[in-house]
Amino acid sequence: MLKGGFMTGDSVMLAGAAGTGKTTLALEYLVNGATLFNEAGIYLTFEQMPDQIFRDAAAFGWDLKKLEAENKLRVICTSPGILAEEEGLEALLSEPINEVKARRIVVDSVSHLSMYVPESDLRKEVFRLIRGFKMKHLSPILLWEAPQVIGGALAITDVGMSFLVDSILLLKFVEIESSMRRGVVIMKMRGSDHDKRLREYEITSQGFKLKASFGQYEGLMTGTPTKMSPAQNFSEVVTSAGRKK
Amino acid sequence: MIDGESLVQRLLSSDIKVDLLTLFRENPGLIDGIDGVAQRIGRKSRAIEAEVKDLLDLGILGKKQVGKVGLLFLQKEKDAEIQSTVVAYLASVGSASR
Repeated sequence: MLKGGFMTGDSVMLAGAAGTGKTTLALEYLVNGATLFNEAGIYLTFEQMPDQIFRDAAAFGWDLKKLEAENKLRVICTSPGILAEEEGLEALLSEPINEVKARRIVVDSVSHLSMYVPESDLRKEVFRLIRGFKMKHLSPILLWEAPQVIGGALAITDVGMSFLVDSILLLKFVEIESSMRRGVVIMKMRGSDHDKRLREYEITSQGFKLKASFGQYEGLMTGTPTKMSPAQNFSEVVTSAGRKK
Repeated sequence: MIDGESLVQRLLSSDIKVDLLTLFRENPGLIDGIDGVAQRIGRKSRAIEAEVKDLLDLGILGKKQVGKVGLLFLQKEKDAEIQSTVVAYLASVGSASR
């Protein structure tokens, strides 16, 4: 779907409503980095406590305490307002970055900053944060809690932060035949010919599992999907028109 | 170094202190201002000031200034040392009572 993955150093926004699996996907990004790619990481959390994160990760078979003991991970918990303080980023992250030689970072979540920073300054503060990470050679994933009204259109952010990041992954619930399913779509990925389809995913006991696209449905992003008849399939129409000639 | 008995009395002198110790020991990656720490144990900062000061005096918590905010964090080595002292004291009390 990403055609090879995110570019090193690129900032990624992972947006979605509560329960869409942002934390799970973000944790998997760090765990895979540490265990498969020799890239240590930092999980920076504001509301969810580290002991809860350790417990939730264990449900997927991820032993975060072991990764910490092996200096492949650090879970840091603080208040968002600290980041807005002068030298806040340095005070929080210099030591853990050096301890584990971190290359990846997850911020859970950037939307919490809005409680501590005036809306007029939020975009500037997030820009400063992203630039700070890049100067430290970190590849950041920034979680953003996007409110989703069932059946309504979805706005990712209303403070223009979509323009600050290099990539945006959107996780959303879709209602199909009276059941809630989950879809992921790449809204933006600079410099990449990425998959444009909305694809289904599941949160399994092993983590995030990508499935096929919702090929038979349209209107999923509007909240009112409709099933397409075979005749509505564009490629079939084109193919059948070619045969008739 | 304070003796084991005094340490136990001092560490368990209030529910707030027990909550603070539990919070930092279960979340050693926590580094936060007093407001944030207080919120995480369901209290307000003024209510925990005295206990925080005592834990700073004992060296279990450390503090570093960032702008206007004093960040509190667990000093893991000192905490481990104090826990060893407490465990040794409790073991001695246990064997003396037999």
